[in-house]
Parts: sequence; C-alpha cells; structure tokens
Amino acid sequence: MSLKRLTVRSVIASAAAAAMVATVVSVGAAAPASAAPVTGGTLYFYTHSEQFPNIDPQRNYTGRDIAFFNSYVYRNLVSYKPVAGSAGSSLVGDLATNTGVPSNSAKDWTFTLRSGITWEDGSAITCADVKYGISRTFATEAYTEGPTYAIAMFKIAKLADGSSAYKGPYVKTGQDLYDKAVVCSKDGKTITFHLNRTVGDFNYAMTYPSFSPVKKSKDTGDKYDMRPFSDGPYKIQKYKINDEMILVRNAKWNKASDPFRTPYPDQIIVKFGMDEDVRDMITMKDSIPNGINMDGLQPANNIAFFENPKNASRRANVYDPYTSYLAANNSAGHLDCLDVRKAIFFAFDNQSLINLSGGSTYYGQPGDSPVKPVLGLDYAPTTGNIHDAAWKIEGNAVEAKKYLEKAKVSCPDAYARATDPAQGISYVRTDTATSKKVAVIVKAAMDAAGIVVKFDYVPSGSYNGQLENYAKKYDLIGSGWGADWANASTVIPELWGEGCCNYTSNKDTAAYPAFIKKVNLALVELDRNKQAKMWKELAQYGMDQYWYIRTVFSKTQETWGSKVGGVFYWEPQGNFGFGALYVKP
Amino acid sequence: MKGCDRLLKYISRRLLYTLVLMLIVSIAIYFIFDWLPIDPARLNCTKQCTPDIIEANRHRLGLDVSVMEQWWRFIQGLFHGRVYTQGAECPAPSFGYSFNRHECVTGILAEAFPITLSLALGAFIMWLSLGISLGVIAAKNKGKFLDKASSVFVLVGTSLPTFISGILIVLFVVLKFNIVNPLELGDWHNPFIDPVGWLKTFFFPCATLALAYAATYTRFTRSNVIETSSEDFIRTARAKGLSEKVILRKHTLRAALAPIVTIAGLDFAGLLGGAIITEGIFGLSGLGRLSVKAVTETYDLPIILSTTLLASAFVVVMNLIVDIAYAFIDPRVRQS
Repeated sequence: MSLKRLTVRSVIASAAAAAMVATVVSVGAAAPASAAPVTGGTLYFYTHSEQFPNIDPQRNYTGRDIAFFNSYVYRNLVSYKPVAGSAGSSLVGDLATNTGVPSNSAKDWTFTLRSGITWEDGSAITCADVKYGISRTFATEAYTEGPTYAIAMFKIAKLADGSSAYKGPYVKTGQDLYDKAVVCSKDGKTITFHLNRTVGDFNYAMTYPSFSPVKKSKDTGDKYDMRPFSDGPYKIQKYKINDEMILVRNAKWNKASDPFRTPYPDQIIVKFGMDEDVRDMITMKDSIPNGINMDGLQPANNIAFFENPKNASRRANVYDPYTSYLAANNSAGHLDCLDVRKAIFFAFDNQSLINLSGGSTYYGQPGDSPVKPVLGLDYAPTTGNIHDAAWKIEGNAVEAKKYLEKAKVSCPDAYARATDPAQGISYVRTDTATSKKVAVIVKAAMDAAGIVVKFDYVPSGSYNGQLENYAKKYDLIGSGWGADWANASTVIPELWGEGCCNYTSNKDTAAYPAFIKKVNLALVELDRNKQAKMWKELAQYGMDQYWYIRTVFSKTQETWGSKVGGVFYWEPQGNFGFGALYVKP
Repeated sequence: MKGCDRLLKYISRRLLYTLVLMLIVSIAIYFIFDWLPIDPARLNCTKQCTPDIIEANRHRLGLDVSVMEQWWRFIQGLFHGRVYTQGAECPAPSFGYSFNRHECVTGILAEAFPITLSLALGAFIMWLSLGISLGVIAAKNKGKFLDKASSVFVLVGTSLPTFISGILIVLFVVLKFNIVNPLELGDWHNPFIDPVGWLKTFFFPCATLALAYAATYTRFTRSNVIETSSEDFIRTARAKGLSEKVILRKHTLRAALAPIVTIAGLDFAGLLGGAIITEGIFGLSGLGRLSVKAVTETYDLPIILSTTLLASAFVVVMNLIVDIAYAFIDPRVRQS
C-alpha cells in the first residue's frame, strides 16, 4: 500500500470531462499566477533524491520528470496545455501542428510536423528523428525503463515469447516491420503510425516523451540518460548525480516554433542529495525563496508547515493522480471466496490507518474504485463497498462476522484458512517501521472480527520489482496506480485485465472470461461516452467482486519559496506546471 | 641492511596476503549478492516487467551467467577493460559499469574517494590533536577542574550519536548563522585549488566526526598516560633528574601512545570506507553514501563490490602501516 511517489505515472482528465473534474482540493490553494511573469533569475529545485531516475526521453516514466523535462528540455509531437484547471488536460500540437488525425477506424494516426523546429545545434528536427526516437523503445536489450505503448500498439508482429519482432535501431532485426508501421511522407512533413487495433486516444499516448524525437548522431546509448540532446527552451549544461543539474537557455530554440512554452528563468538548477532535515528547514524557513522543494516534507514538518497561516501563499494540498489499493488474491487456495473477501473489507479499520499517515487532510480518503474521480468521464461512485450502509470507516467487526458465518457454508475451505490460527490470511508488506505500525492496526481490526492475519515483511527496495511473484504467493498485496491519461483504458485493463499489474489473480475465476471480453470491447469503442459507460460498469463489477479490499484516493502536498511565481498544479501531469514558473524580483 | 631486508620481506608478504584477501572478498561478495533474495533485473523494469524484458535486463547487467563467470569477467575487466551494451565501455582498470548512474565505476570511485579522504583525514587530524591534548591535560591534572571538564567533554562526545550531533551542527550552527548556503552544503572543493571553499564545506562534517572520536581518545589517552606515569621507568627518569616536560615527551607519551596508534589506524581505515551518516547529513557524495545507496536501493553490484573491496583494502593496508609504525615507535618490536 505504500505508494512510491516516483514510481507511478501521470494522470489526466480529458477536456470532455472538464465539468466533472472537481477533485482538486486545497488547504492553502495553489497560488494562481496573478502578477505578470518576470523573465530572468535562477530558479532552484532541491530534493533528497540523488538523481532523476531516468531523463532519456524513451526511459522517462515518472510523472514529475515527464512534466519537468517536457517543459524545459524536450518536446513531443503532442503535449498537454500548460494551464491550471481542467483546461490543462486538453491536447495541443507541439512539434506537430495538430493533435493527430485518425483514420481507418483509428487504426492509423497521422501527425504533421511544424516548420522551424530545431535541435540545440540548430539543425532541423526531421520526421526521421521522430521515427528514430520512437524506435529506441524497441531496443529492450539496452533500455527497459520507459513505457512500451509503441511495442503494444504498433502493427508489428509479436514473437512466440510475446516480444516484438522488431528489436530496435541497434540490433535492427525486423527493421522492415518497423518501417512499415511508422511511415514518414516523402516530403518529410507527416508521420503516420499504423496500429494493430483501434486506439481512439492514441494521441494521448503521444504526450509521453517515449514518442519524442532523438537525433541519431547524438544518440549516446546508455549515456543518453545523462545528457539528452535538447529541442526545448533549455539545454543541460551540467548533470552530476548526487550533486546538481544546471539548465541554461537553448539559444537555438525558436519561440515562433513553440506554441506554448514560456521559459522565464535564465537558469534552472536542481540540487540533489539534500538531507531531509536540511531540505525541510530550507522550505520552512524560506531560506531559498527562489527555490522549490521537489519532495514532500516529512510528516511532522508537513503538518506544522500547512497549519501555519503564514505559509498560505507557498503551499498546495491537492489530490494526486494515484489510487492506492490492497488487492486480494482470488486464486484457489487463497481468497477465492467472496464472503471472506467481504468479511476482510468490513473488518478493516481505515480510520486508524489514515490517522497513522497524517489524517485525511493530508493523506486522502477511502476510495470506491480503482478509477480516481480526476478521470472525470470514466469515474462514477460505485455502489456497495464504502457506500454500503454497514461499512464503517473505523471497521465493522459485527458485519465482518456475518460474512464469515456465510463463508462457513458457502466456502468452508476459505473460511477455515481465514479463521484457523494455524493458517490465516497472509499479507506481504515492506520491512519498514511504518509497515509494522500498519500491521498492528490491521491485526487488531481482524482479531476483532475473528480473522487471522499473518504478515510477511520483505525488503522495501525489492518490493515493487517482486510484486508479480508476491501476488501469487500471498493473499493480500498492496500497491498503487495512476492512469497514464484520462481514459480508464489505462487503468482497468492494467489492474484487472491483461495489463501489467493485475495482482488479483482474477484470471483464475469463472467470471474472468466474460469480464475480459467486455474490457476488450471497451478498449476499441470509439464513442467516448459509450466507452466511459462501459468502464464504469466494469469498475462496478470488480468492486462488487471485492477484487480490491481497499482503495485510497490519496493526496499530495507541494511547497515552494516566497519568490517563486506562476505556481499551479498541472492536473494531467500530477505536478507543478514547470513551464510557467518564474522568479519574482 | 639485514634488518631492512627483513622489513621489506615482511611488507612484501603482507601485501601478498592483502592481494589474496581481496580476491577472497571479491568472490564472497559475488556469492552473497547471488544468494540475496533480490533480483536487480526486475528492479530496472517498470510497468511491463515481462519475462523477456527481465531476461534482457539480466543480460544487460551481466547476471545471466554463473557467479564464477561474473567474477572472472570482473577480474578480466581490471586488466583489459570491458564493453557493455550501447555506449557503455570502461577501459582498464575497470571495476564495472553502473547502469543506474550510467558511468564506469572506476570514475565514480575516483570522484567519491577524495571527498571521503578529505572528510576522514580532516576528522582524523582533529580528533587526534584534540583527543590526545585533552587526554594529556586531564591526566596531568588528575582530579582537578581541567580533568573534570574533560570528563564532561567525554560524556557529551560519547553520548551524542553522530546523527544527532551532525544535524544539530547543520541546523543550529551552519545554517542558522549562514556559514554555508544550504544549497552548497555538500559541494566539493578541491583543498589544493580552493582551500577556503573546502574549509567552509568540510570543517563542520570533520568536526562532527571528530567530536565522537575525540571523546573516546581523550578518555583513552588520559588512562594510558596515568598508567604509564606510574611505571618504574618513569620513576627512574624522574630520579635521574629529568624535567617533567622531557619525561612526558620522551618517555610517557611514547609508551602511552603506542596502543593509540593501533586504534587510530583502524578507525581511520574504517572512515575511509565511508562515514555514512556524516556524509548523508552534510550531503557529501563520498564512498559511504555511494555504497549505502547501492546496497539499499539500487542493488548496484559493481558499486557494492568496488566499495567493499576498497574498504577492505583500507583496513588491511592501514593495519600494515600501523605495524610498521609500531616498529618505529617501539624499539622492542623493531628488534623482534
């Protein structure tokens, strides 16, 4: 359940869903950019992290870093409009003049390149550069960190092991297949992508830097992750892990060729590896007024900072793009009994867990779906679960016992496993002090309901990498997810279908074939409203099955110095609108 | 000449032992890493952690061959360099390539070592001079005010863990009085090029480390000096009419400090392996932080291996230096 801030992706709310997106809540709301922005000065960012996980565009898959580098260093064919509120979720052409033209039932997408777009050496960005950049996603012998939508969506054959028949620009195996799937027009003005199925929102996928260009002659392989060649308003002058990154203006960037970037500071410096106490003190004392804390404050400092009215103009408390969840293992011999799953659900003491994390003001609140309200069109409150009259935020042991009694008859084996002290429900958690506090709360709540729960602690560093294995071994497993863009197509298939992160083992249940059939129908549905209805029905179905015992709609806190202007929360990226930031005189 | 030959032979033998030890340590690290229930190949893939991607990662990291093969490649790399995947090539002596930091480990160590050396050496000088001076003063003023004052220092120094004293120094001295810009706290300044910059950044980390060690050394020196002062040879020296200053300098200290040399050597060697907490608090990018991150977060085998080998080498070499130093300090050792 511990959701790592930097390991999940960004989320967007579509323009169509604008009216429904009302979930950004503030304690001290993000200050809108009221004064006129000022050009010049140095803008600082500081963080406890020692480095950006990946800055190579094809390897960058972290919401914050995508927003940061898309604002400053590299450009996509299509980007989100960098403005506050739901308007920020609309697409605008970036290197392309349009946001993509679908054809052939959205199996083909064409983008027209803008003229006057250049690299930092002044050379023109060509269709071949875009094509080459995207091809790097296929080079899995060299890189595996980034999103692989290109591999999943392009009309390129798959091998028996499920991998693509195209092996990327270095090995070049299957190059002809790639050349057929991604085609530059003769005049080099347009690029067309041929997909293996209908993808109505393919242009949203294009907002990922994994679809951005790379100049072949500047591709330094693994080391490109330290110094990507810029086509944005800034270029990297220095990047040293555990030290700093310095961005300076890219003299070859042409404002006329860029519809929305507003590079105000002369220089941007990111300081890495700060001690957490030192970092918090800088924020709290406003020691670096032109600086932005890239991390959250430590819990005690966070509360102190947010409860001090003096800091009202330099903080934001908002719903982040992520949903934390506790998945139940539905396979035989685990939690393959709905009544047992419901018993665990009702027994859970959510209130104590939320209190442990700093209270609902800062942590968030129990959710009712894997789809977060920020997705707008695809979200509707589900019925049952936390809306059940018997559900209590502090847990309802009486109701839980009722379901256990039912389970005694409906699935005696699962009942025995859940109540027998020699067996019990297995729950895997990271080996941290917080985890052990959570365990005490959960155990007390389960004890009250007569459920035996046993914890297994694993190294926190390896937890995310081992989720797939843990999901098969244990009964309960926690993680988190943020939609890649404003369509539940990046949530439900991923979490409950054939996607990457289905830890429910629902594939072992009788209901799965019908469920996945509906998922596949929803994926190719081009009528957005009809599709949204299908996602809502599927979310309801999964929640009715209690595939997730618990979901939390989490919040995040952002802080900055008093001389930082233009701050707003960029909803689609789940982070600062970096491009609008400036240094006040 | 004979004595000199014997000493050279002794040093050669010890160096040979050191080499063998390094080889054993390196093999042990590979086996321990292999035995750990952690798969670095999985850590490097994010969303689509499919079996073929995991295998691709394993190949990229060089973990798709037997442990001994991995070790042999490492040894070969030391002499011939190594070529990895796209853009990753490390000339000899190659300690491997860090795929997390996109850099050859030799270069990473070369950058981290001067920082750790600066910290360790600065702290070493501080704690030895402070600890020994206070210890001698306390011993010579046994039971008096200065002795009691040094006891207070010892109590404070030993009871304040580095992570407390360090953070107190940073928050309430360095930052409060704007001695260093908080964003420049961990910046590296070469002491030979920018001694003032170095002093600004490294004085307080060195002092933090020295505080704890100096307290221990004060106590140790005090008791050694008191004990030595009651020895027969000191009484003889006094009977011969030597002044107290001469007795202290030529006889008492020489005998009292011999065991301190051993401990100081080992302590210094330990610090060269990385003063993890102090480096963390002051944001210094030394060997300590490098190894901790590699062990706890990134499971970066080449870095774990290299920092461990370095730490072992420091301990072994410092032991050798201490032994040689002993020969100079104590004539009995030289003769034996």
